[in-house]
Amino acid sequence: MTNTDDAETDVPPDEHAYVCEHCGRPFVHETHLALHRGLDHPTDLSAAEREAFEAASEEEETDLRRFRLLALAALVALYFGFLLTYAVVT
Amino acid sequence: MVSVPRLRRRITRLALASVLGLSTWAGVAAAHSGGLRGATRDPLAVPTWLFLLTGGGVVGVSFLLASFVTDRRFVAAVHGWRRHLPDPGRAGRTLASLLGVAVLAVTLAVGFLDRAAGVRNLAILVVWVAWWGGYVASTYLLGDSWPALNPFRTLADALPSLDRPYPDRVGAWPSVAGLLLLVWVEVTMPLADDPRLLATVLAGYTFATLGGTVVFGPDRWFERVDPLARAFRFYGRLAPLGVEDGRLRLRLPGGALPETTLGGLDDVAFVVTLLFVTTYDGFVATGAWTSVARATVGVGVPPLAVYLGAYLVGAVLFYLAYRAATRLGRRHAETYLSATYLARRFAPSLLPIAAGYHLAHNLGSVLVLAPTLAAVAAAPLSPPASPPQLAGLPSWFGGLELAAVLLGHLLAVWVAHATAYDLFPSRLQAVRSQYGVTAVMVGYTMLSLWIVAEPYVAPPFIAS
Repeated sequence: MTNTDDAETDVPPDEHAYVCEHCGRPFVHETHLALHRGLDHPTDLSAAEREAFEAASEEEETDLRRFRLLALAALVALYFGFLLTYAVVT
Repeated sequence: MVSVPRLRRRITRLALASVLGLSTWAGVAAAHSGGLRGATRDPLAVPTWLFLLTGGGVVGVSFLLASFVTDRRFVAAVHGWRRHLPDPGRAGRTLASLLGVAVLAVTLAVGFLDRAAGVRNLAILVVWVAWWGGYVASTYLLGDSWPALNPFRTLADALPSLDRPYPDRVGAWPSVAGLLLLVWVEVTMPLADDPRLLATVLAGYTFATLGGTVVFGPDRWFERVDPLARAFRFYGRLAPLGVEDGRLRLRLPGGALPETTLGGLDDVAFVVTLLFVTTYDGFVATGAWTSVARATVGVGVPPLAVYLGAYLVGAVLFYLAYRAATRLGRRHAETYLSATYLARRFAPSLLPIAAGYHLAHNLGSVLVLAPTLAAVAAAPLSPPASPPQLAGLPSWFGGLELAAVLLGHLLAVWVAHATAYDLFPSRLQAVRSQYGVTAVMVGYTMLSLWIVAEPYVAPPFIAS
């Protein structure tokens, strides 16, 4: 469900990119490619690719959960930071 | 007689200062509940640095909050929502184009013939209040009706065209130069006081546009070169009403922005310039600029060169900052999508910010001067000696203006979020790709809040 049909890409010549065999879009990480296949070419998945997509989704969910905690911590820090600053200044 | 831009700036400053007061007033009132009631409110009880930090903080927080929305289908559904509407029909379109030409003709005639200056002159009121304040707001609040209304287009269609091939090499860069030139003229010349000068500029613009359309053909000209048509088209992408596959459709405000890919870096520069020119207009009216300008002119630099230098350097800095931000986003997102492509995708998210500031800057003067416009339009060549104005705006009005600025920023953060989801398969990658644009938005918020919080100082050395 991403939309990058007309995307320009820029792969450094000395790097190995994971290229999608359906649309040719290159990715830095294998997990990104697995997610991309599951999201954009869901009907063309082989059993192995489906498994890779599920594993990548799970990993993404774990990473997202960690990010949400960090974001929450940042929100709390900002809130109390401003609260204290306002209390001291005004 | 108060000139329109000056009045406009003064109203904006007052309004924003009163909002600033409002937010601190609650705290002050609670602390001194037994003290003097109705004591003078100090609108700047909060030091400027904290005010700016709070503004930047709000944008940062909205980015963090948006990052909690991780349901791809929800994000796509919000932007996919649309309804088709009935077509206004040929009669409606003809009527609109005739109206456009009639207004242009009346404006030019009154501008050249009528001796009344300032807000007693219909030409000035039509250009600054009805068109620049009211109509431009309608392009992002309702929809881009300029293709139907555009009087220059109606005239151009009636003229023959040589249809010379447009040099594709230069892309849309001429429109960036045109936009810079138009705003330069607006800032450095007293266009809101001198109707004859205004009519001359308008006539010059008409001739330049018609000359361009005769050489390259109207389609090419209004698509690639004419800065007004292009600005309204970009603003129209933000509006709920738009044309899709030849049919009128209704979407949520900003709904079309995440799927908008700008044509190239020329379009990116145009959007960034749209944001920059609003900032420059306010920046030259700050005390800091006055002292810098006076010092530089003091060492022998011609005043106009100082203004022009700051103008061009500022425009380039804005553009470079945005490019650097997309490169930063690209590094964090770990992607092979090119930095140019990311710049083309994320730039539309800056449009709601530009629209928010436009609304905050102009809403007040449009409302205050709307009765003036009606009274002067009734008798353009013998306007009343002191046409009516709205006596004042209620104190909550400042809140409305600040809300416009804030809403613009929130929409911008959301559009960037939805764009990132449209670009990257990994949602964490999508969040990281926004670091750059978020940093730019935080910086821009702080800069423009600083400009509005500074007291108005008439720009030195120029007549505006």
